[in-house]
Amino acid sequence: MAAAALRLAGVSVGYSGRPVVTGVDLELRPGQRLALVGPNGAGKSTLIKSVLGLAEIIDGSATVLDRAPAHARAFTGYVPQTGNLDPDFPVSARQVVMMGRYRRLGWWRPARAADRRAVTEALDRVGLADRAGLRFGLLSGGQRQRVLLARAIAAQPRLLLLDEPFNGVDAVSQEAIVRVLRDLSAAGTALVISTHDLAVARDLADLVCLVNGRQWAVGTPGETLTAGPLRQTYGSSAIDLADGRMVLVEP
Amino acid sequence: MNWWDDVMHRAVAEVILAGALTGLIGVQVVVRRLSFFTLALTHATFPGVVAASIIGVNLLLGGVVTGAVVALGVAALTRRRGQDAAAATGVLVSGGFALGAALVATQSGFSRDLSSFLVGSILTVSAGDLVSTAGVLAVVAIVLLVCARPLLYAGFDPVGARAAGIAAGGWDVVLLLTIQLVVVAVVPAVGTILALSLIVAPAAAARLWSDRLPVMTALAVLFAVGSGLAGLFASSRWNLAAGASISLAATAVLAMSWGLQRLTATVSAARAVPA
Repeated sequence: MAAAALRLAGVSVGYSGRPVVTGVDLELRPGQRLALVGPNGAGKSTLIKSVLGLAEIIDGSATVLDRAPAHARAFTGYVPQTGNLDPDFPVSARQVVMMGRYRRLGWWRPARAADRRAVTEALDRVGLADRAGLRFGLLSGGQRQRVLLARAIAAQPRLLLLDEPFNGVDAVSQEAIVRVLRDLSAAGTALVISTHDLAVARDLADLVCLVNGRQWAVGTPGETLTAGPLRQTYGSSAIDLADGRMVLVEP
Repeated sequence: MNWWDDVMHRAVAEVILAGALTGLIGVQVVVRRLSFFTLALTHATFPGVVAASIIGVNLLLGGVVTGAVVALGVAALTRRRGQDAAAATGVLVSGGFALGAALVATQSGFSRDLSSFLVGSILTVSAGDLVSTAGVLAVVAIVLLVCARPLLYAGFDPVGARAAGIAAGGWDVVLLLTIQLVVVAVVPAVGTILALSLIVAPAAAARLWSDRLPVMTALAVLFAVGSGLAGLFASSRWNLAAGASISLAATAVLAMSWGLQRLTATVSAARAVPA
């Protein structure tokens, strides 16, 4: 049997010994799409960073393709939130995507035809081949997110983690991102997508993990995105509608 | 008579080398928004070179060691969560300057040298100074060239870089130490206090003209060397202080670039409006 892309068993993660999320138990197989759902500040980013070896695993065991997270970076890809990046930084979309190849290139070996092709292909897949020469900061929020996705694709990861990829993203970009993510998982890449958008989670994920300080539920969207688990996760900001549906009000 | 025996020839050579150095590193300082940090480094370098001169060791060595301590200290502070790095840097600026002034005061008959540490003394540059500036230029150019990829990735997206296996924190330290090396190397030309203007102003001006790092770097070197030569010329022509003239020339390049940018923006906006 193939190794699980991601296996978390009784995991608590945090910083400097202080847990941010506790009791996470889940297993993700190659090609599966996991949505991490919870309110802002629930610890979704910290959980993602722990899988990348950037946040501390305080308790339990975490493996990526049967390796410790810090030793699996050759196989993991990461799409950060664009809001944390300096829009004035003088770097073009193409240069950002080429960063995805640095691991193969090393420090100073010139990019080869295969690298340039991978970069062009990745930009093409996210629909931004015609924007390659533009400065990153001149692109719209959704386009920046797509460039960061292209950078991750160019590295050809087996497990791809995306931190709120649909935050502040226009409809065209959201559609492009969803299409690329479906293609990637069809090709065997496992995906972890953090989001506070329940509609996206229901539409895109095979597996949903509800977190807010701890794991409240894990399972299919049908099992987890229901009144009981959502009320546990979101507390008083989850409001039942009369027809059995539920809305979330972010405080 | 040897060409190098002429004071002015040595000054011209030093100004060109120092301009190339500050232009190269200045681009990194500007795009990473490290100007304020560099200001602190220049002030922390001041007591270092004074102490080195009192003890009688190489100035470059003394300046690099104290600056390195400060660079690593600030790097450690910024890595801690909740620490106000700007406040720490600000305290270092005045503290470093005070320490340098106090050290100078312990030595009688030292006042002439004080100004040479602060604002440089390009006309007393020795052949040895030229050799060490050239050596530092070679080292800095090689570091920036060989490490261009990790420096770019870590500068643009530190978390993404770490996720990709690039030790962003370590690369920050490499960059800080390289900046420190440049600050110390240009002390003979413009002194510790004026080094900042020659590092930041030409690069900030270059940033106004280009979005591309290689173009920016070439422009910054050109502006810095040009400022150095113009300042040197003005100082010999009108008998002005050389370090100050160079600094003012660099500032003028930035002011003119900004003015020209505003002008072209206004003109093209006016053209876009149909008559």
